[in-house]
Amino acid sequence: MSHDLLVLHALRCVGAAGLARVASFTGLSEAEVESELIDLAVAGLVTHHREFGGWALTASGKAADLERTTAELDAAGTRRELAEAFDQFLVLNPELLDLCTAWQIRSTDGTVNDHGDATYDARVLGLFEDFHGRAVKVIAALSTALPRFARYEDRLAQALGRARAGELGYVADEIGSFHAVWAELHEDLLATLGIQRW
Amino acid sequence: MVSHDAPRWVRRLSADLDEPPEVIGGKAHGLVVLHRLGLPVPAGFVVTTAACRAFLRDGRLPDGLRDELAAATLPPVVSVRSGAAVSMPGMMDTVLNLRPAPDALEDALKAVFSSWNTPRARTYRTLNGIPHDLGTAVVVQQMVFGDRDERSGSGVAFSRDPNTGENVPSGEVLFGQQGDAVVSGRSLTLPLEALAEREPLVWRALRDAFGRIEEHYRDACYVEFTFESGVLWLLQVRRGRFGGAAAVRVATDLADEGAIEREEALLRVSAQHLAHVRTPRIAPGAEVLARGLGVCPGVAAGRVALTADAAVRMAADEPVVLVRPETSPEDIRGLAAATGIVTARGGPASHAAVVARSMGKPAVVGVTDLVVGAHSVSVRGHEVGAGAVIGLDGTGGEVVLGTPRVVTGAADAHLGRLLEWADQVSGDRSERDEAARLEAAHAVLHRR
Repeated sequence: MSHDLLVLHALRCVGAAGLARVASFTGLSEAEVESELIDLAVAGLVTHHREFGGWALTASGKAADLERTTAELDAAGTRRELAEAFDQFLVLNPELLDLCTAWQIRSTDGTVNDHGDATYDARVLGLFEDFHGRAVKVIAALSTALPRFARYEDRLAQALGRARAGELGYVADEIGSFHAVWAELHEDLLATLGIQRW
Repeated sequence: MVSHDAPRWVRRLSADLDEPPEVIGGKAHGLVVLHRLGLPVPAGFVVTTAACRAFLRDGRLPDGLRDELAAATLPPVVSVRSGAAVSMPGMMDTVLNLRPAPDALEDALKAVFSSWNTPRARTYRTLNGIPHDLGTAVVVQQMVFGDRDERSGSGVAFSRDPNTGENVPSGEVLFGQQGDAVVSGRSLTLPLEALAEREPLVWRALRDAFGRIEEHYRDACYVEFTFESGVLWLLQVRRGRFGGAAAVRVATDLADEGAIEREEALLRVSAQHLAHVRTPRIAPGAEVLARGLGVCPGVAAGRVALTADAAVRMAADEPVVLVRPETSPEDIRGLAAATGIVTARGGPASHAAVVARSMGKPAVVGVTDLVVGAHSVSVRGHEVGAGAVIGLDGTGGEVVLGTPRVVTGAADAHLGRLLEWADQVSGDRSERDEAARLEAAHAVLHRR
């Protein structure tokens, strides 16, 4: 995927966003992202919102993203493989949401998890690790169909690494958290396969 | 020679069946209770957890099970449902509308047994401290058809209101459809009261069942039911397990009704329930526009914003409630700007619920009859425009028009009475917080 499409598609998957978030999504530097965004703005595909300091797709930007990601998938000829890997993703998705919920609300007594109980947190994080081991395989299948999906594995691993190192917000709170990256992957798959949310 | 050995793997569901949930599972155990109370339960049998353990160990159904299944009298169409000793809602497979040729029934049993070990089910058990080696029982019952005709349907119901604890049945009903449609949240359910109007005999039978079940458990209860051509069938029962203010109210009401002693009422309320009672709630009596699932407690009110963009823009001037069909990553900044969120779809472990909790914003999800348009939302014919003020209660799941009056449990009359009983038990009338008053009573009662 070319850099300009990568940046365009980032805004499609994460919604309106600032440079840092697009850089994290794409793996490009903020300077590279900004340069691409300016070109995309000149082409009328994105706009800069001064009030909240972020960039967003225009209607023609959204259409261009759909057209170009469809062309990308058609050229790769792997629509069936991607759809099959998406089915595997859908098996994992409810489990990930169960885990995020258990991270927020203690499954043992239904109270809000104030993260004062290290044993509980370690147990849930251990289950995230186990889950991640299975997610890696699904992302490998996704990236066999379209290599750009491999980036999600780096991002999930990074989020989990930070959470394990004590930055607990990287489980479900921060922009780059495991949950946020997973949700972006979900949106990316829906967008790339042209599936409407029902 | 004909063998008359007691069946090893299969038990007929009847009032005489006397085995614990560890053997026949919680679902079958509840069905036996219903049989004993003389309530209508579709005929059927249960395959024990031991059969599941043998299958998971050996990779095949145990010897003798096939013969026992063949010997069981089978109706022409059956349902095949999991039922472990400990509830694992939605984690395992169910097979409906099965025509039980021997192979078909065995395949269904294998599918349900195998679903004990899906990664999601294993994760759920680890989170909830349930051992992995228990296995599930499987209930095989005659199908009753909620979709047979216009006098058929399905529903779920509590004997008392699970939000307030008030002694009125509460739940949802769906006419002309099977039970899975109610639970999936994809169909437009009606409030339980609709049953009283359209099928008064079914309603009366349900009220009668609640009376008998409550007398048995001496507690509020939950049932899943189907009615077929105007005849009620009960498919599942358990205790109500209410939280917060509802737990307090049910315990005090049951003591007042003479169903339990005051001491028992005190023991049924935990300090954790009291903590939840203190969460702000919409004051009773507000006209409810729509109901969903409260997934992040607290009350929020603000102007309706239908997109993340609008929420960010409008929130610069005044509080905003973001209303979405469901949430995508795009909505995160909208929710960050909003004071609360309402979504048409999703459950307690939905993306919207996870995000709302991460930001501590009151949230109601799964408002199934909410339709989000470009300029307004509609709920059962009521149109609410973007910019109109609505309120929501992230505990009870209510959505109301306007800014609601808010109460906290400190003013709750039932709580006051319960704590008065607590002081009588402990003999301590000094100034303390509510949890300390309750715990002092618990300490005395546990010593008795």
